[in-house]
Amino acid sequence: MAVDITEKLAALLGKADTVKILVTTDEEGAPHAVVKDSLRLDEQHRLIYLELLESSRTNKNMVRSIWFNRAVAVAVAGANGESYQIKGKPVKAIVSGPLFRKYYQQIREQCDDADLAAVWVIEPENIIDQSFPVRRRQEEASHPYFKHLDRLAK
Amino acid sequence: MSFALKQQPSELSFEEVAAKYPQFPRLVMLKTDIQRRGVYYTDRALSVADPAIHQLAGTHIFGTRDGILTHRPEAFILRDGTSVLTSPTPLEENPYIVDLCDGRLVLLDKGQEIEEIEYWTKPDYYNLTTSTGVPMSHVASARPQRIYIMPSRYCHFWSDNQGCLFCDIVNNLKQQKSELDLPPKLKPRDVAETIKEALKEPGRFTAICLTSGSDFHGGVPFDTEVDYYIEILQAVGENFKTAKFPSQLISTAFTEKQLARIYEQTGILSYTPDIEVLNEKLFAWICPGKARWVGYREWKQRLIRAVDIFDRGYVNTCIVAGVELAKPHGFTDEDEALKAVLEEAEDLASHGVSTVYTVWVPRPGSYLRGQKNASLDYYVRLAAGLHELRKKYNLPIDHDDYRRCGNHPDSDLGRLL
Repeated sequence: MAVDITEKLAALLGKADTVKILVTTDEEGAPHAVVKDSLRLDEQHRLIYLELLESSRTNKNMVRSIWFNRAVAVAVAGANGESYQIKGKPVKAIVSGPLFRKYYQQIREQCDDADLAAVWVIEPENIIDQSFPVRRRQEEASHPYFKHLDRLAK
Repeated sequence: MSFALKQQPSELSFEEVAAKYPQFPRLVMLKTDIQRRGVYYTDRALSVADPAIHQLAGTHIFGTRDGILTHRPEAFILRDGTSVLTSPTPLEENPYIVDLCDGRLVLLDKGQEIEEIEYWTKPDYYNLTTSTGVPMSHVASARPQRIYIMPSRYCHFWSDNQGCLFCDIVNNLKQQKSELDLPPKLKPRDVAETIKEALKEPGRFTAICLTSGSDFHGGVPFDTEVDYYIEILQAVGENFKTAKFPSQLISTAFTEKQLARIYEQTGILSYTPDIEVLNEKLFAWICPGKARWVGYREWKQRLIRAVDIFDRGYVNTCIVAGVELAKPHGFTDEDEALKAVLEEAEDLASHGVSTVYTVWVPRPGSYLRGQKNASLDYYVRLAAGLHELRKKYNLPIDHDDYRRCGNHPDSDLGRLL
């Protein structure tokens, strides 16, 4: 089930200094994590990522995900400590047509040597705020035993 | 929707096959089944096929199941980027239905929506004509990422009444000439101009493929065919700054000397002489022209010897899968047929030659018209078997994969390799 990306997260994804990491899994379930600066949102607030290398491990894992309905994850970290995890599923691989051409031209303008293998569309299914203050408040509320006593001492 | 659909009670349904092989990608299985059963475009679906935007049928080398050439989409693409070349099929033959629902193009089976699809986009050069006045769409047809040149649409085996029994190339040519005014033989200059324009479209193409009918004329049989390919490939090559370019030649099985000539004088990078059926006895029956002029064993040997020129994995051959079950001389049991085909494919793979398949479409213009192709179960096992052979023998199939070709369910699986 698709979920909405908040305006706050959308803005974070759009910042140049935000780190975006795509995590896919291989046939054995082993994770493969790579920084993907090209991760962005499309008009429907789905994640788009541009795969430049057709034979890359990530590309193969994405194919496996769309074929066998397997989830991928995107970690998003901002310069000011913001941190999110977006879990979702690839729903489309665009390999030709007007949208492919648009991104191909963008890539080629940025780098003369670059090529474009696919434009992947990932539909977000779950968004978790991973920033430390938020996660700590959640843990303290749900697991009151998970702390050292000296922190509570007078 | 209320289409009368004829059931095939003895076969497993798509869902049953999908449940039986959960490790086989459902979208590739769907493509296979669409090609096996054909498609029917509703009027609503056709109403959004825009000749200004989409690629409509007309230039394909083979005909359709319903005998109509024009004004329909040549193919469509699934959401994973899988191409599906389609053969429009009469409703009474139980095809999948392409319809328009809520503004979306969808594939239907038994009235249920299966997948959303998109028509192929027309390339820019389709709007142009060559300096001799030939529409460039008649010089080279396009797939989502491939330029497809058919220099000669005539197969000379037909002149001796020895055309392949599954093939309708010459009958289709006659229809194309009368209905579309397609040139039966291309001029190298027209090809050079068309490729030049095609390459102007950013990100549109990743490979060039050539194929023609066989021509046994020449000092050594097929020299005429070889000479013509060299002319055309040199015309194509004028447009590249590199000596070699991603390309594929689908042709007759040539001698080493002929092949060396093609390789040395052109930019070609891969070679696909289609053996059509991997069984000596059936080859003699189904491909009488190829059997007479080359022979099954020699065809295989020429494939193997071509590896010395093109390298492992860059020589492959295509089979018309399911035709090995054609009546009256084909296998009567799918298990036996599959075993025999995969054994022969393994023999080739062990020598560096890959095998791919297309789904046999018993076209009305072919000798084997009216027959039935194989079950989906068979096609799935065959695709998986050929894929496993490529894994076992470490054979790349980049030049004939989902993107460079898009018409082989087995090589679609190469996306995972």
